[in-house]
Amino acid sequence: MTIIPEDHIEQSLEQSLDHCIKCNICMAACPVSAVTDLFPGPKYVGPQAQRFRHERQPSPDESVDYCSGCRVCNEVCPTGVRIAELNARARARMVAERGIPLRNRLISRSGLVGRLGAGPHAPLANALLSFKPLRTVIERTLGIAREAPLPAFSRYTFRSWFRRRHTPQATGGTPKRQVVYFHGCSANYYEPRIGKTVVAVLEHNGFEVLLPRQRCCGLPLLSNGDFAAARRAHEENVASLAPYALRNVPIVGASTSCTLTLKEEAPELLGMQSDPVRAVAQQTYDIFEFLRMLHDRGELRTDFRPIERTLPYHPPCQLRAHRIGRPALDVLELVPGLRLIETHASCCGIAGTYGLKVEKYRIGMDVGAPLFETVRRSGADMALCDSETCRWQISHGAGVIARHPIEILAEAYGLVI
Amino acid sequence: MRTTIVIGAGLSGLMGALALAEAGLRPLLLAKGQGATHWTAGTIDVWGVDEHSPRDALRALSEAHPHHPYALIGVQAVEEAIARFRALTEAARYPYTGGLESNVLLPTAAGALRPATLLPITMAAGDVRLGGEVLIAGFRELRDFYPPFIAANLAAQGIAARGVYLTVPPAFHRREYTAVTFARMFDDPAFRSDIGRQLRAQRGNASRIGLPAVLGLRDPLGVVVHLQNESGAQVFEIPTLPPSVPGMRLFALFQNAIEQAGGRLQIGSEVIRGEGQNRRLTTVWSEAAARQQEHRVERALLATGGIAGGGIRTDHAGIVRETALDLPVRAPANRAGWFAPRFLDPQGHAMYRSGVATDAYLRPLGADGEVVYENVAVAGATLAGTDTVRERSRSGVSLATGWAAGRILAGSMS
Repeated sequence: MTIIPEDHIEQSLEQSLDHCIKCNICMAACPVSAVTDLFPGPKYVGPQAQRFRHERQPSPDESVDYCSGCRVCNEVCPTGVRIAELNARARARMVAERGIPLRNRLISRSGLVGRLGAGPHAPLANALLSFKPLRTVIERTLGIAREAPLPAFSRYTFRSWFRRRHTPQATGGTPKRQVVYFHGCSANYYEPRIGKTVVAVLEHNGFEVLLPRQRCCGLPLLSNGDFAAARRAHEENVASLAPYALRNVPIVGASTSCTLTLKEEAPELLGMQSDPVRAVAQQTYDIFEFLRMLHDRGELRTDFRPIERTLPYHPPCQLRAHRIGRPALDVLELVPGLRLIETHASCCGIAGTYGLKVEKYRIGMDVGAPLFETVRRSGADMALCDSETCRWQISHGAGVIARHPIEILAEAYGLVI
Repeated sequence: MRTTIVIGAGLSGLMGALALAEAGLRPLLLAKGQGATHWTAGTIDVWGVDEHSPRDALRALSEAHPHHPYALIGVQAVEEAIARFRALTEAARYPYTGGLESNVLLPTAAGALRPATLLPITMAAGDVRLGGEVLIAGFRELRDFYPPFIAANLAAQGIAARGVYLTVPPAFHRREYTAVTFARMFDDPAFRSDIGRQLRAQRGNASRIGLPAVLGLRDPLGVVVHLQNESGAQVFEIPTLPPSVPGMRLFALFQNAIEQAGGRLQIGSEVIRGEGQNRRLTTVWSEAAARQQEHRVERALLATGGIAGGGIRTDHAGIVRETALDLPVRAPANRAGWFAPRFLDPQGHAMYRSGVATDAYLRPLGADGEVVYENVAVAGATLAGTDTVRERSRSGVSLATGWAAGRILAGSMS
């Protein structure tokens, strides 16, 4: 792995080792080591194994590849050890030493996969990918679990819809406040309705939505250890987004993993610390974090229709890693009649691409079992979750529809998508 | 917006958040990580220095040490906190027994004896004054719990005891075991049936059986009853090294009760600074990805712990700081004053009594004796004026001051 000059983050990670007091709280909380012996647990693989990892020496421990990157260990650590970052960097070193398997190279390129599958030919691609014998062949040849929940490609991309749509006319007077929407691969290629909903909610609140060029945030690359490709992705995104960030135009996303990557994961894991990188990070918001901030300032429209429903809500790991609380709950509490019950399950098990892999599919399903059980016991026919891969996993594991909370908010506003 | 802020997720923060939530104030609890609950034995130790009943000790304290946190809030407040805590645990089917009349002596994982004022019912049969022969049973796979060692130390103190190892059934074999691994296994009826049969076979003349405190996370009372029925003896738990399963149970039942009452917990969010004016705290900031999260403050409860919990930090120069709000700390003026010459000095070490000084409303005081923030109350190990290690009062002080601080901030205690 190339050594990044003046990598302050590497130094802070090394220093954080000394904060580990071996209290085992992370071991008690880790959802992966709870269900498999293949991952000995965050304390061993993180702060303890790190003592034996040195430049120019072989990686001492392959089990770090079984870390799902859910960051529950970081969340619970009482002394601030950054275990998940230690593990991600250790995995990247293994990949740098041994190369990245074809399967991981493929599933970590969600933009490329999306471009291939989405479009008018999507029904064909979807039919093929739901054809069981083919999935078996894919599992044998590529190592993508045949049962794993793959999303369906969309017949059109969100960007094509955005370009073609009838833009609401400015109603004169003061210019509208602007906001950049970072849609991510999922809204663009799989679930354009999420993107359309985000645009509708932001416009309902008086914003002009901008859509600069963007590519995959790079998180799947980071979590598969392909740091070189992730760096290229982040450099391109920063080049496109920084001009807006430097003008204090907020960058809003509804995919909690994309926004986390822009805020923190890419800069920290890749050691990128330039002013444009920082500006983009500081201007990036999760959609509900942004709406909550508007409400705190008295600027959020609250013309909600009552929705008499009680629904389970799962705050995904990637949202919890923002350390901003539960913004979706804070905003949706304003909708009369709507009651959301937080699941308190640590992780759904998919962890991005982790649960797709044939050797990890079972682990992912076992990790998610308590969540699936909670959702099923709730009796509701729908669950809410901010992250797309988690929604697909919840639907797969619990057999209910899973929606983004922004869809409920749009419904409360009476917006037709 | 949630403007009632609790900082810290140990026992004091959780008790305070419960009081505030029940007063309808929808508190937001912010904490750096999972709190001291996971580090402690799970008993409530109100006072364990001498043979006095804790209630008598607290009354005497009010006279002799008026700045002690117990003296500041008064015995009545301690009683109220205990009553609320007992009701809470009973409602969660994990009742605590005991009270301020007398302490119970419980065996530790080293076979020593320690006093506890309130204890989960799963530990009640551990009271060494109950007499009869005790069987101590454990697992080779669970480190730091050695039944022969515990039994030998108990025997040396005149308590008839025998230590045996149990076998983990093959279907439950794992590569790594922690207390939590075992707790999850005990949640499985198949596992505890097997263990119950082994206990019956090993019981001999023992009337009571001590096991590591790993008897399930979901329904520990049910596990104890199951094991008693299978083994034919009374079963009790002995606290282990962290992570503490009894502490995790407490955290879970508090989290549930606080949320039911309208509160919210945000773990993994360290409060790193605060700002105020006109003797009122107006804003706190917690650490977050890319930028700090701002929280407007109507009232705040500070319960970040002491030096061990990270609420108070010292440095090589002898500076002692309170880490969240930078409140004034009452501490020896320099490092030379921290410790008594002897490690086991009967007077304790001055450093241990350092912390944030408060008035009777638990509001933080400056060096001049003036209130720093009128809308802040301080609770737990952050408080000055108590050497909780020597007094064996840590969890008692946390429970009582946490509850009192919450009630004071809610305006329901004068």
